[in-house]
Amino acid sequence: MFIQLLISGIAVGVIYGLIAMGMVLIFRTVGIMNFAQGDFLMFGGYFAYTFNQMFGLNIVISLILAALCMGVIGVIFMRTSYWALRKAQAKAIIVSAMGASIVLREGARHIWGAIPLTLDRVKEGSVVLAGATIQWQYVAIIGIALLMMLLVYFLLEKTFIGNIMQATAQDQYMSSLVGIPVVVSIGLTFALSAVITGICGGLLAPIFFLNNTMGTMAGSKAFAAIVIGGFGSVPGAIIGGLIVGLVEQFGGAYISSTYQLALIYIVLIVFLMFRPKGLFQEKIQEKA
Amino acid sequence: MNVLGNTEKNPKLVLSDVCKNFGGVVAARDINLEIFGGEVVGLIGPNGAGKTTLINLITGVYKVDKGKIYFKGKDITAQATYQRAIQGIGRTFQHPHLLDRCDIWTNIIMGSDMAARKKHGNKVDLDKVLPELLECAGLQAIYLDDPMSKLSYGQQKLLEVVRVLLSQPDILLLDEPAAGLNNRETQYVSDLIRYAVKHDIGVLLIEHSMELVMSICDRITVLNFGHQITTGLPEEVQNNTEVIEAYLGGGLADAED
Amino acid sequence: MLARKKRNTPVIVITAFLILLIAVVPQFTSTYTVRILSVALINYLCVLSVYVLLGLCGQNSFAQAGFWGIGAYIAGNILTKTFGGSLTAFVAAVCGTAFLAFILGFAFFRLRQYYFTFASIGLMTILNVLFINWVDFSGGALGMKEIPTFQLFGFSADSETSKLYVVFAVCLVATFLILLLFHSSLGRSFMAIRDNEMAADSMGINSLLTKSIAFAISGALCGAAGAMWASVSGYLSYQSFTYNQSTIYLVMIMIGGTGSPIGALIGTAAITILQEGFRSLQDYMQLIYGIGVIILMIFQPEGIWGGGKILYERFRKHREKSKVSAV
Repeated sequence: MFIQLLISGIAVGVIYGLIAMGMVLIFRTVGIMNFAQGDFLMFGGYFAYTFNQMFGLNIVISLILAALCMGVIGVIFMRTSYWALRKAQAKAIIVSAMGASIVLREGARHIWGAIPLTLDRVKEGSVVLAGATIQWQYVAIIGIALLMMLLVYFLLEKTFIGNIMQATAQDQYMSSLVGIPVVVSIGLTFALSAVITGICGGLLAPIFFLNNTMGTMAGSKAFAAIVIGGFGSVPGAIIGGLIVGLVEQFGGAYISSTYQLALIYIVLIVFLMFRPKGLFQEKIQEKA
Repeated sequence: MNVLGNTEKNPKLVLSDVCKNFGGVVAARDINLEIFGGEVVGLIGPNGAGKTTLINLITGVYKVDKGKIYFKGKDITAQATYQRAIQGIGRTFQHPHLLDRCDIWTNIIMGSDMAARKKHGNKVDLDKVLPELLECAGLQAIYLDDPMSKLSYGQQKLLEVVRVLLSQPDILLLDEPAAGLNNRETQYVSDLIRYAVKHDIGVLLIEHSMELVMSICDRITVLNFGHQITTGLPEEVQNNTEVIEAYLGGGLADAED
Repeated sequence: MLARKKRNTPVIVITAFLILLIAVVPQFTSTYTVRILSVALINYLCVLSVYVLLGLCGQNSFAQAGFWGIGAYIAGNILTKTFGGSLTAFVAAVCGTAFLAFILGFAFFRLRQYYFTFASIGLMTILNVLFINWVDFSGGALGMKEIPTFQLFGFSADSETSKLYVVFAVCLVATFLILLLFHSSLGRSFMAIRDNEMAADSMGINSLLTKSIAFAISGALCGAAGAMWASVSGYLSYQSFTYNQSTIYLVMIMIGGTGSPIGALIGTAAITILQEGFRSLQDYMQLIYGIGVIILMIFQPEGIWGGGKILYERFRKHREKSKVSAV
């Protein structure tokens, strides 16, 4: 039981962590929390469903194709509900992201319907580990998530495109002075963020079912992960996601399943009371 | 003991052996300072000498590492910024911190709001005090209903001084009030400082414009790398070899901007 | 020079217009329309609470629907279990919610900006889970049924029209109080915190206490809205008091404009009209709503009222200029 919960907690946790990482990438670049990130998850899941169930492709290929589609969605999202508003106050951008979230949710309902759907697992069946039965899907999630983290790390740290994105995140004006096309760079960041989150949707769908409101719940848990990890910190987001996933699984099993959801936020709020800036707080001092 | 020799009065603000480090950087080392009501103390030094940090230590934006701060005979070292402000430590900022989404009237009235927040504060007679203050600041022609963006940078800085004077402070900390101002506006700054002196307010003035500092200050303290080089009358400071060295060593050009 | 023009004309005009509207409409329309108006006014109270918190104090909270629910359940409990009359229920809902918000504010406002916003999302979720599971307080998943309507001094708000009048009266009083707040020293300290917390600090404003007071005032408004909702609808379900409802309030105030209570009113009216007017398009309503929000934010990030004001100022300037050139 314990090992089962541990594995499922880690698997769900890395998913939350990856969604949170997608948000953090956007936050670091444009300073705005993306309130539609959860809906990227849902959309990615539906794309994977389309390729996997409707076109009958292999699940791994479907995930890759879904990722490509999500990249396009990310760019469209950035162009419509961020770029046009970049000079407005943050709350206007938040509200426009909420509008986009409604559009994505309702759009998905019109395209794919409101009935919960499912798709193939990466590997069917389960494995027995130290006396506990563990579904292969959980193992696959952890593996793919680790792979994605490595790829993102490699992309951001070792490639030219990644350097451009990092430079834009640090100082947009300066980047534009040295000839970086800021709009392209921000577009790439949104696309990368949508891709990461979209693949998570495809991985999570066989466990939780796909429906058009799945994004809200997952998105709010990713928020919790970010807050626990500390804003703007990528490792913080992953660790925060793991904490949320483990609390969810263990709390639901050992404490109370009715208050499972509340438990996450109670942990979050108590945590914030003692460490108001998260685990990996960034040191920014207000200048007088 | 103090330089002016007015021992019959108690100093309003006393800094005793105040220290502050940021990591390995010394921002303040054993600073001792007294400010009496109705006098102007100048605080000069090259850039990065720790002048603004000292104001932030006095107002409580930063906590001191070591040493004590006394205000009107009371130890305020542990108090929060707003508590110190209510007791009568008023300040302005290097770049004006105004409420940029409110109109000018609201910005000004914040000062008298604060006077009302004090325990023994007398109510400010706005109709009498405000025109006088605005005249000192050369702002008598502005429309109070206008948004803040209508004012020039210099006018905004002057308005900030007006606001803090309306709050009837005992000590006024001015952080480069004349930086970025033209000659006429600098004249208004010294008018406002004279207004403060007339009302028995002790002024701590950080300023790079030597003309203004030398003309208005009763005493001058020189800082360099967080160390207090000297404190004395303007003439003494002007001829102090250590001070000249600090400025030349730290770059005279820096001090002029 | 010191005399300032007080520009209260729009408020007076709009109030007069609304009084007229509320007085006339019930005579000519169905009870359904009257019900919609009541619900819109209750929403307006909640949006007003967002105005106080976000528009005046600059703090973004997603827990407003939760406070609305607390107010509703407090009033509902008192009315159904007959602990007291309508007035007791109303006062208890307002004070209870305000008190809770004040206490929570002290804990939550140690967090800044985004951290506070996310803690408020957490609070909203916790409250919603409580509403579902705390059967004694909320009736659980079945909800709370058969809540009696308001009765005061022998007057009983039985018909939809009389309910509307009660809600409208509460809205008028609340708006008036908020306008007073806007012109008070407390209101100015809210705005100081919104615009520049460091300046507020140096003006002797205790920001933790002041923000908590703002939270309490917004809680009181939500509590009042909750008490009204309990009596108007007669049935409370946990499904009303959700995070999504909170986001709707935020959208409403942003569409109207965060600068004044008029913005709250316009935003509420716009969304209500949109929802009712496009009811025939049921299936596509939400989609249109989402697209509308994005488009409005792109072209008018200050909201309808804020944008209108900017246009008016430009028009005035233009006219003054042409006057000068004519001379």
